[in-house]
Amino acid sequence: MKSFLRALTATAMLSFAAAPSFAQTGETATIPSLDSDVIEQWGGEEGIRNWVEGLFYYIMLDNRINHVFRDFGNIERQIFLNTQLEQMVLGAGTEYQGASMLAAHADLNITLTQFNAVVEAAYNSCERINLPYKACNQLIAALAPYKYDIVTK
Amino acid sequence: MSKFTKAGLGWGRSITLCAAVLGSMTANAELFNTGKVLATGGVSMVDGAGGGGITPWATITGYATRDGINGDLHYTYVFLPDYQLQSLGGAMGFWDRFELSYTQSILTTGGTYDTVGLVTDTLGADTGIEPFNTTITMDVYGAKVRVFGDAIYDSDNLIPQIAIGAFYKENKNEELLTTLHAEEADGWEYYIAATKIFFPFNTLFNYTLRYTDANQTGLTGFGGPNSDGAEFRSELSVGYLLRKDTVIGFEWTQHGENTHGSSVELTGLDVGTLQPVLELAGLGDVSHTLTQRESDWFDAFIAYFPNKNFSMTFAYANLGDIVITPDQHGFYLSLQASF
Repeated sequence: MKSFLRALTATAMLSFAAAPSFAQTGETATIPSLDSDVIEQWGGEEGIRNWVEGLFYYIMLDNRINHVFRDFGNIERQIFLNTQLEQMVLGAGTEYQGASMLAAHADLNITLTQFNAVVEAAYNSCERINLPYKACNQLIAALAPYKYDIVTK
Repeated sequence: MSKFTKAGLGWGRSITLCAAVLGSMTANAELFNTGKVLATGGVSMVDGAGGGGITPWATITGYATRDGINGDLHYTYVFLPDYQLQSLGGAMGFWDRFELSYTQSILTTGGTYDTVGLVTDTLGADTGIEPFNTTITMDVYGAKVRVFGDAIYDSDNLIPQIAIGAFYKENKNEELLTTLHAEEADGWEYYIAATKIFFPFNTLFNYTLRYTDANQTGLTGFGGPNSDGAEFRSELSVGYLLRKDTVIGFEWTQHGENTHGSSVELTGLDVGTLQPVLELAGLGDVSHTLTQRESDWFDAFIAYFPNKNFSMTFAYANLGDIVITPDQHGFYLSLQASF
């Protein structure tokens, strides 16, 4: 079983390696692909930034996970880079300048339970900015595969 | 009998395991986990496993991620014209890897059964059909292992979450099962389930292939005159995620024809004796009335998860012709408490 999973991961990594900047975190190719008007659904780049602010508001209120983000330091910069990341994965054409998802989370020992807590914060933020649930799920789909980079424990 | 003993031993071992796990739980409070995202533990299907309403899914029951264990209790009530099905049970999910479940189904009958029961009882036949509230009780033990895949987060490939599982079902009303021509009162079922959520269009798909020779999920026994052993039957669930706490959808499960078309066996009575009495009772043509039928099952559901401790599922269930009663469609309610 393990070797099968490893083969799958290897295939996935190879397909990423084919992209020019493999060390960087790139756009996810979801199946099926995201709605073509997803940026409009989200209220443009501004709407995405509002959502990230809401996301960090709910993360910092959640005692299961806030210490991870606090220990990482510089919340303002995390919000800035996250906004770039979300704009990029939704296809706004923004360049993400942060470290790759893999590198940024390598030493943090993030559990799936903590990852799911951030997903719950993500849904709370969608509701807070009055984003329809199905528009919210476009971003959930785009970010979901990062689980493999982020959850290391 | 040997089958029964084997199952008993297996469950003895499972109970020991449960006890061991519960014992270590007090030692390590963090073992207990509710880290899954709301609704992603699914609900309890009628056989007690995690899934939809009538189909087991590849998801592991409860809210534990791979970091811990979690469980739930459920009560399900199905109201049909000639039946009421109640199912009460519990299930545990371990490290999002395997689950154990137990449920007891109690099927009480009415309508046609009462009439047939009254007649046969008056004539002194042992059919297992009573003049009032003929009851079928069935114990269902289940186990499931997630083999690979992630139904939720693998949004960039088509690989579903895959699980394999089994049920051991033990029907207590052997007399009635003889009347209905079932070969066995107990049986094993094996299944493989594939589940995947497509977030870009908010839809969950589940396909399950079950290897079984059950009649009406085992409520009317296993095997019959038309059966040559177990067979593969398909099951399908489609769910649309309406909100993060609400799912609507439908399900279909394929049923067999083990006893389809055979009449019920009324011990010690020939139909000639019975016919005029049943006609008098308003049942008309006895050979038609007492011919068994079985149909595929359908349901259309709405499941609501107000929080991680509680969910409610309401459904319209169309279970078609059940044994000697046609057009059994009605209401389904299932409540689940997670801890």
